[in-house]
Amino acid sequence: MNESTMELSKLLPIIAPLFVIQLILVIVALVALAKASQTRGPKWLWVLVIVFVNIIGPVLFFVVGRRND
Amino acid sequence: MSQWMIIWRKELLELARSYKLLWLPLVFLLLGVSQPIVTYFLPDILANAGNFPQGTVIEMPKPQSGEVLAQTLQQYGMIGSLIVALGFMGAVSSERNSGAASMILVKPISRSAYLLAKWTAMLVLVWGSLTIGYLGAWYYTSLLIGEVDAIRAIQALLVFALWLSVIGTLMIAGSVWLRSGAAAAFSALGLAILLSLTASFLPSALAWSPGQLPGLASGFLLGSIPDAAGMIIIAGAVLTAAILYAAVWRMRRMELP
Repeated sequence: MNESTMELSKLLPIIAPLFVIQLILVIVALVALAKASQTRGPKWLWVLVIVFVNIIGPVLFFVVGRRND
Repeated sequence: MSQWMIIWRKELLELARSYKLLWLPLVFLLLGVSQPIVTYFLPDILANAGNFPQGTVIEMPKPQSGEVLAQTLQQYGMIGSLIVALGFMGAVSSERNSGAASMILVKPISRSAYLLAKWTAMLVLVWGSLTIGYLGAWYYTSLLIGEVDAIRAIQALLVFALWLSVIGTLMIAGSVWLRSGAAAAFSALGLAILLSLTASFLPSALAWSPGQLPGLASGFLLGSIPDAAGMIIIAGAVLTAAILYAAVWRMRRMELP
């Protein structure tokens, strides 16, 4: 127990930037999704993909889901 | 030249509007940063996640800093080229299908200027993303694993940038020759894989093949530089120019709707 909490405090500052970058990707993708008038496929499905598919989810939305208008 | 500048600015705007200017660098940064972190914590991860019996001691050799950066480049060679393919598979064909290309080329703009502007915008974005991600990997490697020889690391980056340029140029050419983005991505990635596979299976017969570029980049980091290094780089540059020429040639003769 004690060991794992010690590891966590060592781990957190190192991996925090990873989470921040992922968060930026997810938030920007969600904002773009909210602003888009039309998407390929239902919007609620894209919300799930963006939030739950790691890294590739937002990228897939930008590449496949958005319609250029 | 001024024509080219105008379309180039339009291309950058397009990259920003399609969010590529944002997600390409971020994904490269994410890939680059996670490699040294995963390497550093691998013994802990194995100890916590593996189904090892109590008291198993896992001994792993501590990786060299050059090795970690070389592994990062390996990641970029696989997932990175997939990302580049996703980003640029429709560079020309989507504009052609939507009619945007016709609208632009109705104006007195030469088709080669149009294509070259697209190509340079792609290069700037791919090189920028690669550099950002690589610097992230470099920073974490020197933080967690050990100092990296700066000159070697920069040489490796430049060589790898040339390899990604080959792949990006293949993507642009694919999007000129083929109407479907998926077909362009498949054929361009297929050619890139073929290049690197043949180069690794026949290293002596294809010592100058541009497919040796990723290996050469890792070689700089691992301290084993092949004799043909200069020739490989020249071959890579020549191949890029040849693919670009094939794309311009097709672009000039293309019928627009």
